[in-house]
Amino acid sequence: MTTGYLFNNFNLYLFLSLFLLCCGILGIVYRRTLIAMLISVELIMNGAGLNFVAINRFLYPDKVNGQVFTLFIMGIAAAETAIALAIVILIFRRYKKIEADTLKEMKD
Amino acid sequence: MIILADVMFVVLILITILGALTTVLSGSLIYALMGLIATMFGIAGLYIYLNAPFIAMMQILIYVGAISILIAFAIMLAGPMFKRPKEWSRPIKFISGAITACVIFILFLNVIMRTEWTTIKAEPIKTTTKELGRALFDRFMLPFELISLLIVVSIIGAIMIALYSRKER
Repeated sequence: MTTGYLFNNFNLYLFLSLFLLCCGILGIVYRRTLIAMLISVELIMNGAGLNFVAINRFLYPDKVNGQVFTLFIMGIAAAETAIALAIVILIFRRYKKIEADTLKEMKD
Repeated sequence: MIILADVMFVVLILITILGALTTVLSGSLIYALMGLIATMFGIAGLYIYLNAPFIAMMQILIYVGAISILIAFAIMLAGPMFKRPKEWSRPIKFISGAITACVIFILFLNVIMRTEWTTIKAEPIKTTTKELGRALFDRFMLPFELISLLIVVSIIGAIMIALYSRKER
C-alpha cells in the first residue's frame, strides 16, 4: 500500500490550489498594470486545473473527466490570453500607459 | 523514513508556493512572469505525481511554451519597463486585497475540512493517454469542437484588433 506517503495526501493538493486562488485574487486587487492582473488570472487558472486533476485522481480514479476538463481550461486560458494581450497592446498604443488607473475615461 | 519521492514532492510544492508569492509581490513585471513560469513548472511536476503525465506535458507545452512567451512579448511591446514606477500600489489596496484573500482562504478551508471526502485508498488505475483521447473524441466531442472554434475566433479577433489600431494611427 502506498497510503502513508506525503504525495498521497489529498488535502495537500486542495490547500495548494486554494493558496493559488488566494494569490491570484490578491494580485488582481493589488497590482497596478493590466499585464500583471492577467498573470494573476493565469495563477487562478492553474489552481483550478490542479484541483480538477487532484479530484479525478483521488475520488474517481477510473475516469478521465477531470483531465479532459483541465485540457479545456488550458485551451480557454490560451484564447483569453491572446485576446487580453491584444487589448492591452491597443491600450498602450492609445494611452502610452498600461496602468489600470489611467483607464478612467468612461468613469469621468 | 524519508523517501526520495516525498522530498521531491515537497520541493515541487515549495517551488509552486514561492513562484506564486513572487508573482504577486514582486515589483517588476518580468520578475512576476518568471514567478509564473516557476509556478507552472511546479504544477507540471505535481501532475506527474497525480498520474497524469499527458496533462503535465501539455502544461509545459501550452502554459510555459505558449502563454508565457505571449506575455513576455506583450511586456516587451509595452515599452521600456525601467522607466515605470514600481508595481506596488497604495498600501490600502494591499490591505483590502489581503483581507479579501484571507476571507476566501478561511471560507474554502472550512469547506475543505468539513467535507467528507471518500478517497479511494487502493492503488489507482493508471489512466493512459489512449483513454484520454478516446474520451476526448467520444463523450466530449462537442466541447472539444467548441474549444477549437473559440481559439480560432480569439486568434482572428486578436489579429483584427491589431489591424484596426494600425489603420487608425
